Amino acid sequence: MTIIEKIFSRAVGRDVKPGDYVWSPLDLVAMRDFGGPNVIQEYTENFGDSPVFDNDKIAITFDLHIPARDEKVACNHNILRQFALKQDVKLFDINTGVGQHILFEHGLVKPWNIIVGTDSHMNLLGAFGTAAFGMGTTDITGAMYKGKLWFRIPKTIKIVVTGTLPKYVTAKDVILYVLKNVTTAGALDKALEFSGDTVERMNIAERITLTSMVTEMSGDIGFIEPDSNVLTFLNTRTREEVEPIHADSTASYEKVYEFSVHDLKPQIACPHSPDKVTDVKELSRIEIDQIFIGSCTNGRFEDLKIAASILKGKKIKKGVRLIIVPATMEVAHDALKAGLYEIFLSCGAVVTNPGCALCTTGHPGILAPGETMVSTSNRNFVGKLGKGAAVYLASPATAAATAITGIITDPRQV
Amino acid sequence: MIIKGRVWRFGNDIDTDQIYPGKYLPIIDKKEMARHAMEGTEIGECFINNVKDGDIIVAGTNFGCGSSREHATVAIKGCGIPVVIAQSFASIFRRNCVNIGLPILQLKDIEKIYDGDIVEVNLNNGKVKNITQNKCYKAILVSQLESEIMNAGGLLAYLKQMKQERCSDG
Repeated sequence: MTIIEKIFSRAVGRDVKPGDYVWSPLDLVAMRDFGGPNVIQEYTENFGDSPVFDNDKIAITFDLHIPARDEKVACNHNILRQFALKQDVKLFDINTGVGQHILFEHGLVKPWNIIVGTDSHMNLLGAFGTAAFGMGTTDITGAMYKGKLWFRIPKTIKIVVTGTLPKYVTAKDVILYVLKNVTTAGALDKALEFSGDTVERMNIAERITLTSMVTEMSGDIGFIEPDSNVLTFLNTRTREEVEPIHADSTASYEKVYEFSVHDLKPQIACPHSPDKVTDVKELSRIEIDQIFIGSCTNGRFEDLKIAASILKGKKIKKGVRLIIVPATMEVAHDALKAGLYEIFLSCGAVVTNPGCALCTTGHPGILAPGETMVSTSNRNFVGKLGKGAAVYLASPATAAATAITGIITDPRQV
Repeated sequence: MIIKGRVWRFGNDIDTDQIYPGKYLPIIDKKEMARHAMEGTEIGECFINNVKDGDIIVAGTNFGCGSSREHATVAIKGCGIPVVIAQSFASIFRRNCVNIGLPILQLKDIEKIYDGDIVEVNLNNGKVKNITQNKCYKAILVSQLESEIMNAGGLLAYLKQMKQERCSDG
Protein backbone atom coordinates (compact mmCIF):
# COMPACT_ATOMS: atom_id res chain seq x y z
CA MET A 1 0.00 0.00 0.00
CA THR A 2 0.99 3.63 -0.53
CA ILE A 3 1.04 6.04 2.42
CA ILE A 4 -2.42 7.47 1.72
CA GLU A 5 -3.90 3.96 1.41
CA LYS A 6 -2.30 2.94 4.73
CA ILE A 7 -3.53 5.99 6.63
CA PHE A 8 -7.13 5.63 5.48
CA SER A 9 -7.15 1.85 5.84
CA ARG A 10 -6.23 2.21 9.49
CA ALA A 11 -8.65 5.12 10.05
CA VAL A 12 -11.70 3.30 8.67
CA GLY A 13 -10.72 -0.18 9.86
CA ARG A 14 -10.61 -1.94 6.50
CA ASP A 15 -8.31 -2.09 3.50
CA VAL A 16 -9.05 0.73 1.08
CA LYS A 17 -7.92 1.12 -2.52
CA PRO A 18 -7.76 4.05 -4.93
CA GLY A 19 -11.21 5.10 -6.12
CA ASP A 20 -12.96 4.01 -2.90
CA TYR A 21 -15.22 6.50 -1.14
CA VAL A 22 -14.95 6.37 2.65
CA TRP A 23 -16.30 8.21 5.68
CA SER A 24 -13.31 8.72 7.92
CA PRO A 25 -12.94 10.03 11.47
CA LEU A 26 -10.75 13.13 11.81
CA ASP A 27 -7.89 13.89 14.20
CA LEU A 28 -8.03 17.66 13.88
CA VAL A 29 -10.29 20.26 12.26
CA ALA A 30 -8.68 23.67 11.68
CA MET A 31 -9.91 26.99 10.40
CA ARG A 32 -8.33 30.38 9.82
CA ASP A 33 -9.33 34.00 10.09
CA PHE A 34 -10.18 33.65 6.40
CA GLY A 35 -12.95 31.09 5.90
CA GLY A 36 -13.30 30.60 9.65
CA PRO A 37 -16.00 33.24 10.18
CA ASN A 38 -17.98 31.70 7.30
CA VAL A 39 -17.67 28.32 9.05
CA ILE A 40 -18.96 29.71 12.35
CA GLN A 41 -21.89 31.34 10.54
CA GLU A 42 -22.80 28.03 8.83
CA TYR A 43 -22.34 26.08 12.04
CA THR A 44 -24.61 28.39 14.02
CA GLU A 45 -27.26 28.41 11.28
CA ASN A 46 -27.29 24.63 11.00
CA PHE A 47 -26.41 23.31 14.44
CA GLY A 48 -27.20 26.24 16.77
CA ASP A 49 -25.46 25.91 20.11
CA SER A 50 -24.63 22.20 19.71
CA PRO A 51 -21.21 21.43 21.08
CA VAL A 52 -18.53 20.58 18.52
CA PHE A 53 -17.70 16.86 18.16
CA ASP A 54 -14.56 17.19 20.32
CA ASN A 55 -13.31 20.56 21.54
CA ASP A 56 -9.74 19.23 21.85
CA LYS A 57 -9.72 18.51 18.11
CA ILE A 58 -10.62 21.99 16.84
CA ALA A 59 -8.04 24.71 16.23
CA ILE A 60 -8.54 28.28 15.02
CA THR A 61 -5.53 30.13 13.61
CA PHE A 62 -5.14 33.77 12.64
CA ASP A 63 -2.73 34.15 9.76
CA LEU A 64 -4.08 36.08 6.78
CA HIS A 65 -5.61 39.44 7.67
CA ILE A 66 -3.59 40.15 10.80
CA PRO A 67 -3.75 42.48 12.64
CA ALA A 68 -7.26 43.43 11.49
CA ARG A 69 -6.97 46.09 8.77
CA ASP A 70 -10.58 47.31 8.90
CA GLU A 71 -13.82 46.91 10.81
CA LYS A 72 -15.10 44.03 8.70
CA VAL A 73 -11.98 41.98 9.42
CA ALA A 74 -12.04 43.00 13.08
CA CYS A 75 -15.63 41.73 13.34
CA ASN A 76 -14.62 38.45 11.66
CA HIS A 77 -11.80 38.02 14.16
CA ASN A 78 -14.21 38.54 17.03
CA ILE A 79 -16.65 35.98 15.64
CA LEU A 80 -13.81 33.46 15.96
CA ARG A 81 -12.69 34.59 19.41
CA GLN A 82 -16.23 34.41 20.79
CA PHE A 83 -16.83 30.97 19.30
CA ALA A 84 -13.53 29.70 20.72
CA LEU A 85 -14.48 30.95 24.14
CA LYS A 86 -18.01 29.52 23.99
CA GLN A 87 -16.97 26.11 22.67
CA ASP A 88 -13.66 25.99 24.54
CA VAL A 89 -11.60 25.24 21.42
CA LYS A 90 -7.96 26.13 20.77
CA LEU A 91 -7.33 29.60 19.35
CA PHE A 92 -4.02 30.98 18.13
CA ASP A 93 -4.44 34.73 17.86
CA ILE A 94 -2.71 37.36 15.71
CA ASN A 95 0.61 36.91 17.53
CA THR A 96 1.29 33.38 16.23
CA GLY A 97 1.69 32.89 12.47
CA VAL A 98 0.88 30.68 9.47
CA GLY A 99 -1.78 28.13 10.47
CA GLN A 100 -0.28 24.78 9.47
CA HIS A 101 3.11 25.86 10.84
CA ILE A 102 1.45 26.76 14.16
CA LEU A 103 -0.24 23.36 14.27
CA PHE A 104 3.00 21.41 13.96
CA GLU A 105 5.00 23.76 16.18
CA HIS A 106 2.37 23.30 18.90
CA GLY A 107 2.34 19.51 18.81
CA LEU A 108 -1.03 19.04 17.07
CA VAL A 109 0.37 17.07 14.13
CA LYS A 110 1.52 13.44 13.98
CA PRO A 111 2.16 10.87 11.27
CA TRP A 112 -1.00 8.80 10.52
CA ASN A 113 -3.25 11.74 11.49
CA ILE A 114 -6.06 12.90 9.23
CA ILE A 115 -6.45 16.69 9.40
CA VAL A 116 -8.70 19.11 7.52
CA GLY A 117 -8.67 22.90 7.44
CA THR A 118 -9.74 25.98 5.49
CA ASP A 119 -6.44 26.40 3.69
CA SER A 120 -5.56 24.90 0.33
CA HIS A 121 -1.98 24.45 1.58
CA MET A 122 -3.05 22.48 4.66
CA ASN A 123 -1.64 19.51 2.74
CA LEU A 124 1.95 20.68 3.35
CA LEU A 125 1.64 18.62 6.56
CA GLY A 126 2.30 15.64 4.29
CA ALA A 127 5.93 16.53 5.13
CA PHE A 128 5.23 14.87 8.51
CA GLY A 129 3.48 11.78 7.12
CA THR A 130 0.12 13.36 7.95
CA ALA A 131 -2.91 13.21 5.65
CA ALA A 132 -4.04 16.84 5.65
CA PHE A 133 -6.46 18.48 3.26
CA GLY A 134 -7.62 21.99 2.48
CA MET A 135 -11.38 22.30 2.29
CA GLY A 136 -14.16 24.83 2.03
CA THR A 137 -16.61 26.27 4.52
CA THR A 138 -19.23 23.53 4.33
CA ASP A 139 -16.77 20.64 4.74
CA ILE A 140 -15.17 22.23 7.77
CA THR A 141 -18.57 23.06 9.27
CA GLY A 142 -19.70 19.46 8.85
CA ALA A 143 -16.37 18.16 10.13
CA MET A 144 -16.62 20.27 13.26
CA TYR A 145 -20.08 18.89 14.01
CA LYS A 146 -19.71 15.28 12.96
CA GLY A 147 -15.99 14.57 13.44
CA LYS A 148 -15.90 12.72 10.15
CA LEU A 149 -15.96 13.47 6.44
CA TRP A 150 -16.11 11.70 3.10
CA PHE A 151 -12.93 11.09 1.12
CA ARG A 152 -12.14 9.57 -2.23
CA ILE A 153 -8.93 7.57 -1.98
CA PRO A 154 -6.56 8.90 -4.66
CA LYS A 155 -4.01 7.04 -6.73
CA THR A 156 -0.40 7.88 -5.90
CA ILE A 157 2.38 9.31 -8.10
CA LYS A 158 5.96 8.78 -6.94
CA ILE A 159 8.54 11.55 -7.35
CA VAL A 160 12.12 10.35 -6.93
CA VAL A 161 14.78 13.08 -6.59
CA THR A 162 18.45 12.12 -6.53
CA GLY A 163 21.78 13.93 -6.35
CA THR A 164 23.49 16.51 -4.17
CA LEU A 165 22.19 20.04 -4.78
CA PRO A 166 24.79 22.65 -5.83
CA LYS A 167 25.31 25.70 -3.61
CA TYR A 168 22.34 28.12 -3.57
CA VAL A 169 20.17 25.56 -5.36
CA THR A 170 17.43 24.75 -2.87
CA ALA A 171 14.28 22.74 -2.22
CA LYS A 172 12.31 25.56 -3.91
CA ASP A 173 14.33 25.12 -7.09
CA VAL A 174 13.66 21.37 -6.92
CA ILE A 175 9.89 21.76 -6.55
CA LEU A 176 9.72 24.40 -9.30
CA TYR A 177 11.61 22.00 -11.57
CA VAL A 178 9.21 19.19 -10.61
CA LEU A 179 6.25 21.51 -11.33
CA LYS A 180 7.66 22.34 -14.75
CA ASN A 181 7.58 18.64 -15.58
CA VAL A 182 4.41 17.52 -13.80
CA THR A 183 2.50 20.76 -14.77
CA THR A 184 -0.30 22.55 -12.91
CA ALA A 185 -2.95 19.93 -13.60
CA GLY A 186 -0.57 16.96 -13.73
CA ALA A 187 -1.38 15.59 -10.28
CA LEU A 188 -5.13 16.32 -10.33
CA ASP A 189 -6.94 14.09 -7.81
CA LYS A 190 -3.68 12.29 -6.96
CA ALA A 191 -1.50 11.83 -3.90
CA LEU A 192 2.25 12.22 -4.30
CA GLU A 193 5.16 10.59 -2.50
CA PHE A 194 8.56 12.27 -2.59
CA SER A 195 11.63 10.09 -2.12
CA GLY A 196 15.24 9.69 -3.21
CA ASP A 197 18.48 10.68 -1.48
CA THR A 198 18.01 14.43 -2.10
CA VAL A 199 14.69 14.37 -0.26
CA GLU A 200 15.98 12.07 2.49
CA ARG A 201 18.69 14.63 3.36
CA MET A 202 16.23 17.52 3.59
CA ASN A 203 15.40 19.23 6.90
CA ILE A 204 11.83 20.07 7.95
CA ALA A 205 11.84 23.50 6.27
CA GLU A 206 12.97 22.01 2.96
CA ARG A 207 10.44 19.17 3.19
CA ILE A 208 7.66 21.70 3.74
CA THR A 209 8.80 23.66 0.68
CA LEU A 210 8.35 20.51 -1.42
CA THR A 211 4.99 19.41 -0.04
CA SER A 212 3.51 22.93 0.04
CA MET A 213 3.56 23.14 -3.75
CA VAL A 214 1.71 19.90 -4.44
CA THR A 215 -1.41 22.09 -4.47
CA GLU A 216 0.04 23.94 -7.48
CA MET A 217 0.15 20.59 -9.33
CA SER A 218 -3.51 20.10 -8.32
CA GLY A 219 -2.49 17.14 -6.15
CA ASP A 220 -4.49 16.23 -3.04
CA ILE A 221 -1.37 15.79 -0.92
CA GLY A 222 2.35 15.02 -1.12
CA PHE A 223 3.96 12.78 1.48
CA ILE A 224 7.54 12.43 2.64
CA GLU A 225 8.40 9.55 4.97
CA PRO A 226 9.48 11.18 8.25
CA ASP A 227 13.14 10.48 9.10
CA SER A 228 14.55 10.27 12.64
CA ASN A 229 15.03 14.08 12.79
CA VAL A 230 11.41 14.71 11.88
CA LEU A 231 10.19 12.07 14.36
CA THR A 232 12.34 13.52 17.15
CA PHE A 233 10.96 17.00 16.40
CA LEU A 234 7.36 15.74 16.51
CA ASN A 235 8.08 13.74 19.65
CA THR A 236 9.41 16.87 21.38
CA ARG A 237 6.42 18.94 20.31
CA THR A 238 3.63 16.43 20.96
CA ARG A 239 5.26 14.94 24.07
CA GLU A 240 3.98 11.62 22.80
CA GLU A 241 5.53 8.65 21.07
CA VAL A 242 5.14 9.17 17.34
CA GLU A 243 4.87 6.23 15.04
CA PRO A 244 6.85 6.22 11.78
CA ILE A 245 5.05 5.70 8.49
CA HIS A 246 6.33 4.39 5.19
CA ALA A 247 4.93 3.06 1.96
CA ASP A 248 5.12 -0.70 1.41
CA SER A 249 7.82 -1.86 -0.97
CA THR A 250 5.03 -3.54 -2.94
CA ALA A 251 2.97 -0.32 -3.18
CA SER A 252 1.48 0.40 -6.56
CA TYR A 253 2.02 3.81 -8.19
CA GLU A 254 0.19 5.28 -11.11
CA LYS A 255 3.36 6.92 -12.37
CA VAL A 256 6.96 7.37 -11.27
CA TYR A 257 8.94 10.52 -12.10
CA GLU A 258 12.72 10.51 -11.62
CA PHE A 259 14.72 13.72 -11.36
CA SER A 260 18.47 14.05 -11.08
CA VAL A 261 19.32 17.42 -9.53
CA HIS A 262 23.12 17.36 -9.10
CA ASP A 263 23.46 19.97 -11.85
CA LEU A 264 20.15 21.78 -11.35
CA LYS A 265 20.33 25.57 -11.71
CA PRO A 266 18.24 28.07 -9.73
CA GLN A 267 14.69 27.93 -11.09
CA ILE A 268 12.01 30.60 -11.47
CA ALA A 269 8.31 30.45 -12.40
CA CYS A 270 7.20 33.21 -14.77
CA PRO A 271 3.86 35.03 -14.76
CA HIS A 272 1.14 33.83 -14.53
CA SER A 273 1.54 30.13 -13.85
CA PRO A 274 3.62 28.20 -11.30
CA ASP A 275 4.65 25.67 -13.96
CA LYS A 276 6.01 28.27 -16.42
CA VAL A 277 9.46 27.51 -15.06
CA THR A 278 12.87 28.33 -16.49
CA ASP A 279 16.47 28.83 -15.30
CA VAL A 280 16.93 32.11 -13.38
CA LYS A 281 19.84 33.09 -15.61
CA GLU A 282 17.51 33.06 -18.65
CA LEU A 283 15.67 36.09 -17.22
CA SER A 284 18.60 38.19 -16.11
CA ARG A 285 17.43 41.48 -17.63
CA ILE A 286 14.02 41.75 -16.00
CA GLU A 287 13.64 44.66 -13.59
CA ILE A 288 11.83 44.08 -10.31
CA ASP A 289 9.87 46.52 -8.12
CA GLN A 290 9.30 44.36 -5.06
CA ILE A 291 10.61 41.18 -3.46
CA PHE A 292 8.72 39.07 -0.92
CA ILE A 293 10.48 36.48 1.26
CA GLY A 294 8.11 34.44 3.39
CA SER A 295 4.87 32.34 3.07
CA CYS A 296 3.91 28.80 4.09
CA THR A 297 6.34 27.61 1.40
CA ASN A 298 9.46 29.60 2.32
CA GLY A 299 8.94 31.36 5.65
CA ARG A 300 10.95 29.07 7.96
CA PHE A 301 14.14 30.05 9.81
CA GLU A 302 16.33 28.19 7.29
CA ASP A 303 14.73 30.20 4.47
CA LEU A 304 15.43 33.50 6.21
CA LYS A 305 18.95 32.36 7.05
CA ILE A 306 19.96 31.69 3.46
CA ALA A 307 18.47 35.07 2.43
CA ALA A 308 20.45 36.75 5.24
CA SER A 309 23.67 35.07 4.13
CA ILE A 310 23.28 36.83 0.78
CA LEU A 311 22.03 40.16 2.16
CA LYS A 312 24.64 40.44 4.93
CA GLY A 313 26.60 43.70 4.68
CA LYS A 314 24.72 44.71 1.51
CA LYS A 315 22.05 47.25 0.66
CA ILE A 316 19.04 46.52 -1.49
CA LYS A 317 18.93 48.35 -4.83
CA LYS A 318 17.55 51.87 -4.61
CA GLY A 319 13.92 51.96 -5.69
CA VAL A 320 13.37 48.28 -4.89
CA ARG A 321 11.19 47.18 -1.97
CA LEU A 322 12.02 44.04 0.04
CA ILE A 323 9.37 42.61 2.37
CA ILE A 324 10.39 39.79 4.71
CA VAL A 325 7.82 37.90 6.78
CA PRO A 326 8.72 35.03 9.14
CA ALA A 327 6.17 32.19 9.01
CA THR A 328 5.64 32.14 12.78
CA MET A 329 6.56 33.94 15.98
CA GLU A 330 8.87 31.03 16.83
CA VAL A 331 10.71 31.59 13.54
CA ALA A 332 10.86 35.33 14.29
CA HIS A 333 12.39 34.63 17.72
CA ASP A 334 14.98 32.31 16.21
CA ALA A 335 15.78 34.90 13.53
CA LEU A 336 16.16 37.59 16.18
CA LYS A 337 18.49 35.46 18.28
CA ALA A 338 20.60 34.57 15.23
CA GLY A 339 21.02 38.25 14.32
CA LEU A 340 19.01 38.04 11.09
CA TYR A 341 16.82 41.05 11.92
CA GLU A 342 19.94 43.22 12.15
CA ILE A 343 20.96 42.10 8.66
CA PHE A 344 17.47 42.59 7.20
CA LEU A 345 16.90 46.02 8.72
CA SER A 346 20.39 47.21 7.78
CA CYS A 347 20.00 46.21 4.15
CA GLY A 348 16.77 48.19 3.83
CA ALA A 349 14.13 45.47 4.14
CA VAL A 350 10.71 45.85 5.73
CA VAL A 351 10.13 43.01 8.20
CA THR A 352 6.49 42.56 9.20
CA ASN A 353 4.66 40.43 11.75
CA PRO A 354 4.53 36.64 11.19
CA GLY A 355 1.73 35.31 8.97
CA CYS A 356 0.85 34.42 5.38
CA ALA A 357 1.46 37.96 4.13
CA LEU A 358 1.65 38.32 0.34
CA CYS A 359 -0.43 35.31 -0.56
CA THR A 360 -3.35 37.18 -2.06
CA THR A 361 -4.85 40.62 -2.50
CA GLY A 362 -6.17 42.01 0.75
CA HIS A 363 -2.81 42.06 2.45
CA PRO A 364 -0.46 45.07 2.74
CA GLY A 365 2.23 45.02 0.07
CA ILE A 366 -0.03 44.49 -2.95
CA LEU A 367 1.35 45.66 -6.29
CA ALA A 368 0.24 48.49 -8.58
CA PRO A 369 -0.68 47.76 -12.22
CA GLY A 370 2.46 47.20 -14.28
CA GLU A 371 4.63 46.37 -11.27
CA THR A 372 6.72 43.22 -10.99
CA MET A 373 7.60 41.10 -7.96
CA VAL A 374 9.82 38.15 -7.17
CA SER A 375 8.08 36.11 -4.47
CA THR A 376 9.09 33.02 -2.49
CA SER A 377 5.41 32.10 -2.18
CA ASN A 378 3.69 29.39 -4.19
CA ARG A 379 1.28 31.00 -6.66
CA ASN A 380 1.58 33.67 -9.33
CA PHE A 381 -1.89 33.55 -10.83
CA VAL A 382 -3.01 36.55 -12.86
CA GLY A 383 -4.25 39.36 -10.61
CA LYS A 384 -3.64 37.41 -7.40
CA LEU A 385 -1.38 40.11 -5.96
CA GLY A 386 -2.78 43.10 -7.81
CA LYS A 387 -4.51 43.67 -11.12
CA GLY A 388 -2.03 44.12 -13.96
CA ALA A 389 0.94 43.03 -11.85
CA ALA A 390 3.42 40.28 -12.71
CA VAL A 391 4.79 37.80 -10.16
CA TYR A 392 7.78 35.47 -10.48
CA LEU A 393 8.23 32.59 -8.01
CA ALA A 394 11.72 31.71 -6.81
CA SER A 395 13.80 30.60 -3.83
CA PRO A 396 14.76 32.85 -0.90
CA ALA A 397 18.35 32.84 -2.28
CA THR A 398 17.24 34.08 -5.70
CA ALA A 399 14.87 36.58 -4.08
CA ALA A 400 17.64 38.01 -1.88
CA ALA A 401 20.09 38.27 -4.80
CA THR A 402 17.40 40.01 -6.85
CA ALA A 403 16.79 42.54 -4.05
CA ILE A 404 20.45 43.59 -4.21
CA THR A 405 20.63 44.07 -7.98
CA GLY A 406 17.03 45.07 -8.77
CA ILE A 407 16.98 42.66 -11.70
CA ILE A 408 16.25 38.94 -11.59
CA THR A 409 19.55 37.48 -10.43
CA ASP A 410 21.08 34.05 -10.02
CA PRO A 411 22.17 33.91 -6.34
CA ARG A 412 25.54 32.45 -7.39
CA GLN A 413 26.39 35.74 -9.09
CA VAL A 414 26.29 38.10 -6.08
CA MET B 1 -33.72 17.66 -14.50
CA ILE B 2 -33.18 19.46 -17.81
CA ILE B 3 -31.60 22.92 -17.90
CA LYS B 4 -31.39 25.16 -20.96
CA GLY B 5 -29.18 28.20 -20.95
CA ARG B 6 -26.68 30.49 -22.62
CA VAL B 7 -22.98 29.61 -22.41
CA TRP B 8 -20.23 31.68 -20.83
CA ARG B 9 -17.07 30.08 -22.15
CA PHE B 10 -13.82 30.07 -20.13
CA GLY B 11 -10.39 28.53 -20.73
CA ASN B 12 -8.06 26.24 -18.77
CA ASP B 13 -6.78 26.68 -15.20
CA ILE B 14 -9.37 29.29 -14.17
CA ASP B 15 -8.25 29.67 -10.54
CA THR B 16 -10.28 30.75 -7.54
CA ASP B 17 -8.68 34.21 -7.54
CA GLN B 18 -10.16 34.76 -10.99
CA ILE B 19 -13.51 33.32 -9.92
CA TYR B 20 -13.54 35.27 -6.65
CA PRO B 21 -10.67 37.74 -6.01
CA GLY B 22 -8.90 37.53 -2.65
CA LYS B 23 -9.80 41.06 -1.66
CA TYR B 24 -13.39 39.92 -1.08
CA LEU B 25 -12.47 37.08 1.30
CA PRO B 26 -13.68 38.90 4.43
CA ILE B 27 -17.25 38.85 3.03
CA ILE B 28 -19.51 36.36 4.80
CA ASP B 29 -22.84 37.39 3.27
CA LYS B 30 -23.64 35.03 0.39
CA LYS B 31 -25.66 37.57 -1.63
CA GLU B 32 -22.75 39.98 -1.46
CA MET B 33 -20.39 37.21 -2.63
CA ALA B 34 -22.56 36.64 -5.73
CA ARG B 35 -21.89 40.20 -6.88
CA HIS B 36 -18.22 39.32 -7.49
CA ALA B 37 -18.54 36.02 -9.39
CA MET B 38 -15.86 35.60 -12.09
CA GLU B 39 -14.75 39.18 -11.42
CA GLY B 40 -11.02 38.39 -11.75
CA THR B 41 -11.32 36.79 -15.19
CA GLU B 42 -10.56 38.66 -18.41
CA ILE B 43 -14.26 39.16 -19.03
CA GLY B 44 -15.08 39.77 -15.35
CA GLU B 45 -16.87 43.08 -15.70
CA CYS B 46 -18.89 41.92 -18.71
CA PHE B 47 -19.88 38.75 -16.84
CA ILE B 48 -21.06 40.56 -13.74
CA ASN B 49 -23.09 43.09 -15.72
CA ASN B 50 -24.69 40.61 -18.08
CA VAL B 51 -24.99 37.21 -16.37
CA LYS B 52 -28.60 36.04 -16.15
CA ASP B 53 -30.38 33.37 -14.13
CA GLY B 54 -29.99 30.09 -15.98
CA ASP B 55 -26.77 30.95 -17.83
CA ILE B 56 -24.24 28.12 -17.90
CA ILE B 57 -20.46 28.16 -17.41
CA VAL B 58 -18.40 25.95 -19.73
CA ALA B 59 -14.65 25.79 -19.03
CA GLY B 60 -11.49 23.85 -19.83
CA THR B 61 -9.28 21.79 -17.55
CA ASN B 62 -8.63 22.26 -13.83
CA PHE B 63 -11.50 24.69 -13.26
CA GLY B 64 -11.39 26.16 -9.74
CA CYS B 65 -7.75 25.42 -8.99
CA GLY B 66 -5.96 27.34 -6.25
CA SER B 67 -7.47 28.38 -2.96
CA SER B 68 -9.96 26.43 -0.82
CA ARG B 69 -12.33 29.40 -0.69
CA GLU B 70 -15.91 28.20 -0.92
CA HIS B 71 -16.82 31.80 -1.74
CA ALA B 72 -15.98 30.89 -5.36
CA THR B 73 -18.70 28.24 -5.63
CA VAL B 74 -21.21 30.25 -3.57
CA ALA B 75 -20.69 33.28 -5.84
CA ILE B 76 -21.26 31.22 -9.01
CA LYS B 77 -24.38 29.58 -7.61
CA GLY B 78 -25.60 32.89 -6.20
CA CYS B 79 -25.47 34.70 -9.52
CA GLY B 80 -27.89 32.19 -11.00
CA ILE B 81 -25.63 29.63 -12.73
CA PRO B 82 -27.50 26.28 -12.48
CA VAL B 83 -24.64 24.03 -13.67
CA VAL B 84 -20.91 24.27 -14.41
CA ILE B 85 -19.47 22.13 -17.19
CA ALA B 86 -15.68 21.67 -17.40
CA GLN B 87 -13.13 19.28 -18.85
CA SER B 88 -11.92 18.75 -15.28
CA PHE B 89 -12.38 20.34 -11.86
CA ALA B 90 -9.81 21.02 -9.15
CA SER B 91 -10.53 18.68 -6.25
CA ILE B 92 -11.34 21.19 -3.48
CA PHE B 93 -13.55 23.20 -5.83
CA ARG B 94 -15.33 20.01 -6.86
CA ARG B 95 -16.02 19.11 -3.22
CA ASN B 96 -17.28 22.61 -2.53
CA CYS B 97 -19.71 22.38 -5.47
CA VAL B 98 -21.05 19.06 -4.23
CA ASN B 99 -21.30 20.29 -0.65
CA ILE B 100 -23.35 23.38 -1.52
CA GLY B 101 -25.41 21.61 -4.19
CA LEU B 102 -24.06 23.34 -7.30
CA PRO B 103 -24.34 20.74 -10.08
CA ILE B 104 -21.18 20.01 -12.08
CA LEU B 105 -20.57 17.91 -15.17
CA GLN B 106 -17.27 16.76 -16.61
CA LEU B 107 -17.14 16.93 -20.41
CA LYS B 108 -14.05 16.35 -22.56
CA ASP B 109 -15.42 17.63 -25.89
CA ILE B 110 -15.95 21.30 -25.16
CA GLU B 111 -13.96 22.69 -28.09
CA LYS B 112 -17.09 23.13 -30.21
CA ILE B 113 -19.06 24.86 -27.49
CA TYR B 114 -18.71 28.61 -27.98
CA ASP B 115 -19.46 31.68 -25.91
CA GLY B 116 -23.13 32.59 -26.30
CA ASP B 117 -24.25 29.15 -27.57
CA ILE B 118 -27.51 27.81 -26.18
CA VAL B 119 -27.09 24.38 -24.61
CA GLU B 120 -29.52 21.95 -23.04
CA VAL B 121 -28.16 19.89 -20.15
CA ASN B 122 -29.78 16.78 -18.69
CA LEU B 123 -28.47 16.49 -15.13
CA ASN B 124 -29.86 12.96 -14.74
CA ASN B 125 -28.00 11.29 -17.60
CA GLY B 126 -25.27 13.82 -18.48
CA LYS B 127 -26.52 14.49 -22.02
CA VAL B 128 -25.45 17.91 -23.27
CA LYS B 129 -27.09 19.24 -26.42
CA ASN B 130 -25.59 22.28 -28.10
CA ILE B 131 -28.69 23.70 -29.77
CA THR B 132 -26.81 26.50 -31.55
CA GLN B 133 -24.23 24.16 -33.11
CA ASN B 134 -26.60 21.19 -33.32
CA LYS B 135 -24.26 18.78 -31.57
CA CYS B 136 -24.77 16.29 -28.74
CA TYR B 137 -22.32 15.17 -26.08
CA LYS B 138 -22.29 12.83 -23.09
CA ALA B 139 -20.78 14.24 -19.90
CA ILE B 140 -19.53 12.33 -16.86
CA LEU B 141 -21.79 12.59 -13.83
CA VAL B 142 -20.51 12.88 -10.26
CA SER B 143 -20.12 9.70 -8.21
CA GLN B 144 -23.03 8.05 -6.41
CA LEU B 145 -22.02 9.45 -3.01
CA GLU B 146 -21.56 12.95 -4.41
CA SER B 147 -24.93 12.67 -6.12
CA GLU B 148 -26.59 11.56 -2.85
CA ILE B 149 -25.06 14.55 -1.04
CA MET B 150 -26.31 16.92 -3.75
CA ASN B 151 -29.77 15.38 -3.75
CA ALA B 152 -29.99 15.77 0.02
CA GLY B 153 -29.47 19.51 -0.50
CA GLY B 154 -25.76 19.59 0.29
CA LEU B 155 -23.37 18.17 2.87
CA LEU B 156 -24.89 19.69 6.01
CA ALA B 157 -28.40 18.48 5.14
CA TYR B 158 -26.90 15.08 4.36
CA LEU B 159 -25.05 14.93 7.68
CA LYS B 160 -28.20 15.86 9.60
CA GLN B 161 -30.04 12.87 8.16
CA MET B 162 -27.04 10.54 8.40
CA LYS B 163 -27.79 7.64 10.72
CA GLN B 164 -24.25 7.13 12.00
CA GLU B 165 -23.55 8.79 15.32
CA ARG B 166 -21.14 11.65 15.74
CA CYS B 167 -17.56 10.63 16.54
CA SER B 168 -17.82 12.06 20.05
CA ASP B 169 -20.87 9.90 20.79
CA GLY B 170 -18.97 6.68 20.42
